[in-house]
Amino acid sequence: MIEPFALEVASDLFDGGFKLFPAVTLVAMLAVFLGVGWFFRVAAVDEMWVAGRSIGAVENGMAIAANWMSVAAYLGVASTVALLGYFGLAYVVGWTTGYFILLIFLAAQFRRFGKYTAPDFVGDRYYSDLGRALAASTTLLIAFVYIIAQGNGLGLMAQYIFGVSYEVGVILLMAITIGYVALSGMLGATKNMALQYVILISAFLLGLYATGWTQGWSTVLPFVEYGNQATAMAEIERQYTEPFANATYYHWIALCVSLIAGTCGLPHVLVRFYTADNERNARWATVWGLFFTLLLFLGTAAYAAFGSLLYQDNVGEYTEMTGTESDTLVVLTAYLANLPEWLVGIVAAGAIAAGLATTAGLFISASSAAAHDIYTNLYKEDATQREQLIVGRSTILVLGAIVTYLALNPPALIAEVVGMSFALAGTVLFPVFFLGLWWEDATREGAIAGMVVGLFFGFGSIVNEVLPQYVGALSGEAIFPTFATIVPATSSSLVGVPAVMVTIIVVSQFTDDPPEDVKRLVRQCHSPEPMEKLQSAEDVATDGGTPADD
Amino acid sequence: MDDEKPGEQPTESGRIETDGGPNEVDYLDEKIHMFKPATPFMRDHLKVIWGLFAVWVVFTFGPVTATAVAPEVMTNTYVLGFQLHYFLTALGSPIGALLLSALYAWRRDVLDTRYGVDHSTDVKGDTGQTVAADGGEQA
Repeated sequence: MIEPFALEVASDLFDGGFKLFPAVTLVAMLAVFLGVGWFFRVAAVDEMWVAGRSIGAVENGMAIAANWMSVAAYLGVASTVALLGYFGLAYVVGWTTGYFILLIFLAAQFRRFGKYTAPDFVGDRYYSDLGRALAASTTLLIAFVYIIAQGNGLGLMAQYIFGVSYEVGVILLMAITIGYVALSGMLGATKNMALQYVILISAFLLGLYATGWTQGWSTVLPFVEYGNQATAMAEIERQYTEPFANATYYHWIALCVSLIAGTCGLPHVLVRFYTADNERNARWATVWGLFFTLLLFLGTAAYAAFGSLLYQDNVGEYTEMTGTESDTLVVLTAYLANLPEWLVGIVAAGAIAAGLATTAGLFISASSAAAHDIYTNLYKEDATQREQLIVGRSTILVLGAIVTYLALNPPALIAEVVGMSFALAGTVLFPVFFLGLWWEDATREGAIAGMVVGLFFGFGSIVNEVLPQYVGALSGEAIFPTFATIVPATSSSLVGVPAVMVTIIVVSQFTDDPPEDVKRLVRQCHSPEPMEKLQSAEDVATDGGTPADD
Repeated sequence: MDDEKPGEQPTESGRIETDGGPNEVDYLDEKIHMFKPATPFMRDHLKVIWGLFAVWVVFTFGPVTATAVAPEVMTNTYVLGFQLHYFLTALGSPIGALLLSALYAWRRDVLDTRYGVDHSTDVKGDTGQTVAADGGEQA
């Protein structure tokens, strides 16, 4: 199902050479992000925040949405909806409805547990350094796969803005991102997530509204006004909305379930709940976060319909659209609608903002997994700050180099690659989180066995389908075609999650119960008693006893 | 859900247990098991969770399943210019999830009030630097 695509374009989107206004917009945007990071750095040092500043539900909702939205949401989903038709909607459904599961089963309990990262949660809940290492390795793998897709989208946008080749574009923007991580890491720029959301959603909606208006297709609510365009596309080419033309019912469900589980397993989204000022706000922040996400995802399907129709009218058969063209469909739509260059440039810059913020976050979670969870906890207990810093920075550099190389020849469409990283998170981490919070008898051995099984399905399916594309000796087909049909790389969770859960439950039955303090920790996560803002379940549950080692 | 005041209820073990509030149940002594909630709060909370979860399953997988079962009806009915299957999947499921999330947050607020959970006390302090946000520098 996953096919490599050639970097070819039939439209003349990329022919304009260097574009001054879009380039200036991009630079200004970066400057604002760094400036805000610097400003809040100063505020934090002045202890202004300690004096009572809190992040409310709406602002935190924006932060959740910004953390969440990458190039895949911004550019990739419109592409899959246009190219894969009804199957592409599984991305829209999975990536939005997953929030609800996150909200009812995980958000509040995870916040109470008081751990920010997946490796920390697994390490403490399952009282195991091996568990911590497995979770940390998975975090690294997720970041790795995820960043490839971001590099792909960033490269395409650089190609448009700077008029350089795709390869130069990827290298250029990845270099900028790594530099940005280095700077923003020092400045604590995670504070400006809400700002990043406002910028990226404004750019996205500006293009959508302008296209709808100028073409006379939509007025105030393009999200629900593109029905005639979608149906018109279906009349031109049945495949556009025909159910199950590109994938079976099974694959639709499998993809949807994987993206839902992935939403609940991706650590960088869970982090946001801890910044809410109280648990009630954490819950409402999720509701707001979903609302803000919907603005983009509902718009995405409208972009797909508008863009395909414009392509059909101005360029040629939309079914002949190349992977590159579909991956830039959001920008291409604005371009084909004859919007002025500065407006198209803003839409492109918005995509870069989305990719940059997510990539920076991923690099940071990868580096802390390597430096804190793997190097310090497993290899060298008494590692100094300096050593950890070196390990963290080297991880970013090495990872950056490898993903840049792989992004030069991406294995699939942007949303598909991100789908793979979601499936990986959903298969390996979601069951461990879920059972860890809802079943106190889940044991260390169960969790470790479960994660190993999860890696087999989650990572195995990716290797199975992607490796042949890079290794010439293999045919280019999946290594085990039957495995790829039942457990597709983007959709391994439908089979993987039940398999992992059964493994954890069975192994837990045959191993010793978790220690009492761990059980009390889990219980605290479900107590109605309010906790102090910075209190973790650990503080309350251990009750002055021995704190779990960290 | 009803608004009746929670009172004394005999538990399965025959023990009399009050569920009047967090002060009368030691939550740290009760087992956490998703399908066997041991405390009144968890029972009430899980009622909300499973109820809404069932609706969510219908909202999320209903449109695509209906399309698989009755493709002719779903693709030949039109709503706001959309084919019905496309409308329900692209707009119905996501918007449904938003409404359900709001409904859950609201039910939890009601539950909190019933159990006297007060969120106003814990508004202080800074979130501080997180491990995830500092690139491992503060680890």
